[in-house]
Amino acid sequence: MSFRKLKKSWLEILLITPLLIYILGFTLAPVIYAVYMSFQDKFTLHFPTLVNYKYIFTHFQFKEAFFNTCFVAGVGITLELTIGLLVALILYRNFKGRGIFRAIMLLPLGVPTVVAATNMRYIFDTSGYLNSFLLKLGVVEHAVDWAGGGIKTLMTIVVADMWKVTPLVMLILLAGLETIPEQLYEAARIDGAGAWKRFKHITLPLLKPAITMALVIRGIDIFRIFDLPLILVGRHTRVLSTYAYFEYYDYANPYTSSAGATILMVMILLTIIAYLKMTGTKEVQY
Amino acid sequence: MVFKYFSILLLVFFTVLVILPVYLMVKVSLSPPEDIMVQRPGFLIRNVTFRHWKDVFKSGRLWQPLKKSIIVATTTALLALLISIPGAYVISHLSRTLRYSMILSLFFTRMFPEVGIALPIAVNFIKWGLFDTNLGLTMAHLIRVLPVTAWILIGTYRTIPSDLEDAAQVDGCGRLGVLKHVVLPLALPGISVALIFSWLMSWDEFTYALYLCLREKTMPLQVYYYISRGDWFLTASYATIITIPVIFVTYILQKYLRSGYLAGAVKG
Repeated sequence: MSFRKLKKSWLEILLITPLLIYILGFTLAPVIYAVYMSFQDKFTLHFPTLVNYKYIFTHFQFKEAFFNTCFVAGVGITLELTIGLLVALILYRNFKGRGIFRAIMLLPLGVPTVVAATNMRYIFDTSGYLNSFLLKLGVVEHAVDWAGGGIKTLMTIVVADMWKVTPLVMLILLAGLETIPEQLYEAARIDGAGAWKRFKHITLPLLKPAITMALVIRGIDIFRIFDLPLILVGRHTRVLSTYAYFEYYDYANPYTSSAGATILMVMILLTIIAYLKMTGTKEVQY
Repeated sequence: MVFKYFSILLLVFFTVLVILPVYLMVKVSLSPPEDIMVQRPGFLIRNVTFRHWKDVFKSGRLWQPLKKSIIVATTTALLALLISIPGAYVISHLSRTLRYSMILSLFFTRMFPEVGIALPIAVNFIKWGLFDTNLGLTMAHLIRVLPVTAWILIGTYRTIPSDLEDAAQVDGCGRLGVLKHVVLPLALPGISVALIFSWLMSWDEFTYALYLCLREKTMPLQVYYYISRGDWFLTASYATIITIPVIFVTYILQKYLRSGYLAGAVKG
């Protein structure tokens, strides 16, 4: 019997081995190597040393990149979730032309990120379409320099990211909405609950797993955001990913680059842990 | 009633916002420079010219990246399936806790920024002679593709009733026989979704390509090259060309995408 059991698991081990080897060898190993490099001295290759971290902590561009990443992630995820939920709630209702609207809303999913960034450059260029629109409306008198730095530049990154990924958030939330049984709403209606009460006491709690999933998937990605800021604003306004890239690309310093990447990972980990601690893992059941 | 009209209005507003950037890209690619390079460019297409498109086709920068991108994306998608079809099958049959921790560890790898992973990989690939090769790029793309395909497939396998597998085993099917004759045919829609998804993820990929390509560029890298040169029109035409097949494929994909594939892996 135990021989058969062993034979059974041998097959399973055989089937899963390629996947495990790949994950361990090609993801975990590089991650560990990068963390190792971040504690290595550039000249003497001495390990461990904090020299790379000391260097980037005194680097004003690092402080800027740190702040920018926090801003883009915080504002971005809030707006994406709010608008994604709003659109999902509208598309959840049955009405004529729902299929067409749904299909159009998913368009950005099919546009490569690099292309999305390109399109945003046409919009946010000094003589681009947003300025053209604002000037024609008379909202501003002179063309705004969107890439000039500060909050407005960060907002262009947020808008670009929102355009690209809000559809994905919407899709996840829509799938979550469809799992909520219709009878609950009917029962609440009979009990005299208004639209807001139904939303607050039925939709939101039952949507929590979908919201958590969207938050975790998107939350991780928005911290790591790389191609959009690189193409949209390049060197002038850096987030942590592009900071790490330019450390390697401009200064050929893989050690400080790794230190930047490691700090980004720690930030992501802390955020996820904080989120899970804050909301708890208990699920609502009706 | 007011609420209803308000929501339709809102929907139309968002629809316009979604379409606008893509429309502007196509517009720029079709407009003569006089219409675009002005202080306040207009929103309507006035004159149409195919000059920029012809320039892209004649530039000698289209066929090589196109070929490279197609080769890498196709190999990546096929290899991803080859590795994750059996792997995900095993994971889907584990106990709830083990399955959860496996899925979590699949995604744990996503927490490290890609610029951080791409760097040591580039350093090692230079040593191993995989730098600037299709094989090297394919291997790097698998890093971001595999967790996703495995996740989709675990969800797909979970939607197949285990009674069917048990029945087949009672009828004398071996473990591999069950996988081949019962599970795989039933999982085919999910497998095709995973295939298309991984193809798209590799086609769009930018970060690893940036670190691992030197002489031969992929399509997204070529777009970046055009942007860095500051040519609006060639960028727009080129960007439109790489977007067309992707939009097409995405619509096929979303037709087959059922919420079960996404939710199944984490449910019950």
